[in-house]
Amino acid sequence: MPVSTPTLQALVPALPLAAAIVTLLVGRRLGHRAHLPAVAGIAGAAVAAVMLLFSTHAAVVGHGDPHAADAAFETAKQFDSPSTLWQWATIDEAIVPSPAATPPGTPLSAPATDGSAAAIPFSIPIELRLDPLTSTMLALVTCVGLLVAIYSIGYMHDDPGYARFFALVALFVFSMTMLVSATNFLVVYVFWEAVGACSYLLIGFWFRKPEAARAAKKAFLVNRIGDFGLAIAVFLIWMTYGTLNFHDATLADGSLQPGVLGVTRLEEPGRIIGGAVGTAICLCLLLAACGKSAQAPLHVWLPDAMEGPTPASSLIHAATMVTAGIYLVTRCAPLFEACPGALVAVSIVGAVTALVAGLIATVQNDLKRVLAYSTISQLGYMFVSLGTGTLLGFTAAIFHLVTHAFFKALLFMGAGSVMHSMGGVIDMRRFGGLRRIMPITAATFLVGSLALAGVPPFAGFFSKDEILASVHAKAFPGGHDGHHEPSTVAAAFHPVSFSGRAVSFSGKASADETVAPAAAAWLDGLDRPRVWRVIWWMAIVTAGLTAFYSFRAVFMTFTGPERVPEEAMGHAHGHEAHGHGGSGPHESPPVMTIPLCILAAASAVSGWWLFSTHALSDFLAATPSLAAPAVAATAVPHAFHMDIAIQGTLAAAIGIAVAAVGHLGRRSDGPQMERFLGPLEWLFANRFFIDQVYSALVVKPLEGLAFVAAAFDRFVIDGTVDAVGRLPVAAGSIVRGLQSGLVQRYALAGASGVLLIVLALFWRLRG
Amino acid sequence: MMPAVQLATLAVIADGPAIDGLTANGLIVGAILFALGLAGILTRRNLIVMFLCAELMLQGISVSLVAWSRHHGDWGGQMLVIFVLTVAACEAAIALVLVLGAFARTGRLDSQAWQSLREDNLPRVVDHALPSIDTAAAKWPKLTPAGVLPETDEDELLEREHV
Amino acid sequence: MTLAELLTPGRLLAGAVTASAISLWLLLPRGRESGTARWLGTLLGIAALAGLACAGRRLGSLGEEGVFLTVSLVAVVSGAATVLTRSPVYSAIWFAMCLLGVAGVLLVLGAQFLGVATIVVYAGAILVMFLFVLMLAQPAGLAPYDRVSNEPFLSAVTAAVLLGLLTLSIGRLSAEPVSAAPVSAAPIAAVSADPLAENHVARLGAELFGRHLVSVEAAGVLLLVALVGAIAVVSRGETAGREGSR
Repeated sequence: MPVSTPTLQALVPALPLAAAIVTLLVGRRLGHRAHLPAVAGIAGAAVAAVMLLFSTHAAVVGHGDPHAADAAFETAKQFDSPSTLWQWATIDEAIVPSPAATPPGTPLSAPATDGSAAAIPFSIPIELRLDPLTSTMLALVTCVGLLVAIYSIGYMHDDPGYARFFALVALFVFSMTMLVSATNFLVVYVFWEAVGACSYLLIGFWFRKPEAARAAKKAFLVNRIGDFGLAIAVFLIWMTYGTLNFHDATLADGSLQPGVLGVTRLEEPGRIIGGAVGTAICLCLLLAACGKSAQAPLHVWLPDAMEGPTPASSLIHAATMVTAGIYLVTRCAPLFEACPGALVAVSIVGAVTALVAGLIATVQNDLKRVLAYSTISQLGYMFVSLGTGTLLGFTAAIFHLVTHAFFKALLFMGAGSVMHSMGGVIDMRRFGGLRRIMPITAATFLVGSLALAGVPPFAGFFSKDEILASVHAKAFPGGHDGHHEPSTVAAAFHPVSFSGRAVSFSGKASADETVAPAAAAWLDGLDRPRVWRVIWWMAIVTAGLTAFYSFRAVFMTFTGPERVPEEAMGHAHGHEAHGHGGSGPHESPPVMTIPLCILAAASAVSGWWLFSTHALSDFLAATPSLAAPAVAATAVPHAFHMDIAIQGTLAAAIGIAVAAVGHLGRRSDGPQMERFLGPLEWLFANRFFIDQVYSALVVKPLEGLAFVAAAFDRFVIDGTVDAVGRLPVAAGSIVRGLQSGLVQRYALAGASGVLLIVLALFWRLRG
Repeated sequence: MMPAVQLATLAVIADGPAIDGLTANGLIVGAILFALGLAGILTRRNLIVMFLCAELMLQGISVSLVAWSRHHGDWGGQMLVIFVLTVAACEAAIALVLVLGAFARTGRLDSQAWQSLREDNLPRVVDHALPSIDTAAAKWPKLTPAGVLPETDEDELLEREHV
Repeated sequence: MTLAELLTPGRLLAGAVTASAISLWLLLPRGRESGTARWLGTLLGIAALAGLACAGRRLGSLGEEGVFLTVSLVAVVSGAATVLTRSPVYSAIWFAMCLLGVAGVLLVLGAQFLGVATIVVYAGAILVMFLFVLMLAQPAGLAPYDRVSNEPFLSAVTAAVLLGLLTLSIGRLSAEPVSAAPVSAAPIAAVSADPLAENHVARLGAELFGRHLVSVEAAGVLLLVALVGAIAVVSRGETAGREGSR
């Protein structure tokens, strides 16, 4: 290898960062070539990421049989050695109140085990880690980012903020690659925020448009709730484990400090905290993931985020940023594994989100909003999969993440292509039969929809099938696999609950110490097949809904009588300058359709390839977090479950059929299926009134509070300040009369003053 | 001539051995003149009178200086008086020119005509109306007519340039 | 209780200060002329002068006392008249009278040359200049601003208290020399206490043009600059006036 691995690791984030800085500095001068630095930087990052992926894969495969958990574990050790760039901060003697991470009897590390405060150095290294999960995410983010950047060359070509857009995209790729490369919770937090900030800037890209500015604000604020959860989780992890590193670090005195997700800690199952504190940590992490991955009830920002440019929607809100939550949960899999209640919570959240978002998507008429709700729904699917807590579930989630990134980016770009051609109109009722006007877009969009609907042999089918299989295994423990009982395995690794000591840092302890474990225990109690069966049926219904709304969109947009909105007829969109000539609806330029074709190919074949070779799941199993004994023990042999596949495909087929009955060949503005839904349609169209509930519960009270605060500020604080300001004037007005301008009065005052001084001197001399 | 209490005055006011009486008296005269001049310069509104009062203060100073010269038995005080004279002459020359300039601008010799140093938002200080001087009521001495009115040549009177 | 016991020096001085303050206030122009105030002020002024005279010291001989008292009374009374007279022309005349008195005091104090020079320079030159300016600028009759005063009461009190303080300090002076060593290393000639000492003017001239030669030259330059300055101010004022009249 010509370039060392640490160099490649550093290059992946460094190139987009450099591109962003260069574009920001000289972007205006580059004019229509402003995309060059960003595209080049992201392309370089993509090359580096793919090289890293291959090198990691070679290392994993080359180190024995990854099917065996022990072997995978041995392999993973190789990749838990991050390369340090520099130290951010170091505090030599940070006090850890409760080294509860070290239960008695496991003398593994320096911290005292007697419960007293122990001095542990606190350091925040800026380190880049490399393991299968990270390398997968890096490759995904950079490759999709590259395609989106190329696509944007065509889509954004006459936008006044052309340079700014590419700078932001490059900055976003930088943040995202750092987020998945970081090996410290605090650094993760930093780039978690950075990703949110980039999202804010891209949603509000057309900041002169009030809706866009409002949507950006909403996305940022809703994300703050999740960020708050992450912050609390980081604090709790620090208090509990005494370190924020993922990996094992070597201290200055040569001793080993086990990282939160380090090999040393993962080797011994009991060293991951469960119970109330563990559940609290996991729920806070779940809250963070919900914010970033748009899970209920924090999903409200993502549909509004469609106000941003379509490539940004495609990049951030479909393919990459929203997967940060999935990544975080997967990364912290051992923590969740210790808290079955938190895992069930993950699944429940995911299932509810998937179903609700799917239902809402069925009545949306805005093409991009359909896709947005579809994204939320698919992310919910991934959460369902994560919540199973099995190796199959985690790998299936990542598998679905990868395939979803392909086809959702494809669908968004296709929608963008339609929008581009239709003069900015995105309402599906206003056009139809576009397959003759834009055949490439129509074909690729159809491929994406097939993949999304889960039709074999497209990518979505296989990843969804794995998710369904993982849920099925939980829902029907005595099912077709027979030999496997996940809950008992999980129970074997249930750690001792440290309810007493671990929460001792909360000041008023007694009530919390009884309530919190009770709540955790109640959550743990939800880990029952009956609950999982509900989740299973929700997932199946969602599969049908997914097929319905995706094909409803296809039929409304691309089939039926050919209709084009009048905006498309007149819009010039600057194409004359590019030699396209003519006006009216047209197929998009090659710079936009080529990425579509690439993604369509990936959507078509990646699922089959990755599934049949088990390449991804075996590869991911070597990740330290997933190679932990608690997770690895849940591994099952790869199998294709025909019954599950039939159920999933059946659901998809029913959905497509219903969509065909309702929409195929009809005018898209004609009578709709939705009216048969009656009041439900009203409920769906209003998105279950979640925004209204937020408005009533959060926004209105806050506005009232803000009104009171503003009044207080205006009348009390400003009044005080004004009074202070008026004081000198008032004091001055008392003596202003002395400044009469009459020189003789001045002279009199001077003489009298001298006289007074002399008198005072006399007085002193006498005394 | 001096009142009887003067002896008591000497005994109590002075702390140590008394200084030369003439010196002390000269100092008192200087002090009186100085105080009078000060009072005048603070009160009188006429610019020229103000300058006269300033000169009066200088006179007080001169007397004091000569008295001190006598007290110390050297020429320093008297030399200073000579220079005070010089400076007073310069001051008078310049100041009177300035007074004339001021008069040319306001038509008055009033020190209150100049109030531009006052605060912007303060009103201008204006004098209260003064009771008019009844010139008609003034009693002029009257001469009883005596002798014959001299004859004057009317033509010659017209040819005169000045009366 | 005898008069001497009643009039302690402190009370005497305080009385004199009070009397002089009230007298000044009564006699200063205050718009409305009143004969009562004039008489009362005059009486109080005389009383104040008498009190201040008591603060003075007994001189050697009756003749010396008489001469000094006369010339100082002339100086003080005409000085007061200078301040108090309404008409500026009378003020100037009274000031000339005051100069005569001051010249007399200087003579008595042993400064013959200065006494004469004061009359020559002041009465002969400066005062005449004042009168010329008055002729140029003074309107006929009494101007309103000649009939009122600026803060008469406060000013009178200030001046009277200042006078009291000065008198008190003079009374407390001791005969001890201020500095043991004379300022000049080589004194040309000590001033004589005798007012009519021989060669007084000659010795003064020697002192002036010997030890203070540089100062004399500086004073000469100052006079020249003042002369040029006065001319410059006048000519510019005339130019401005002509330009303004166009």
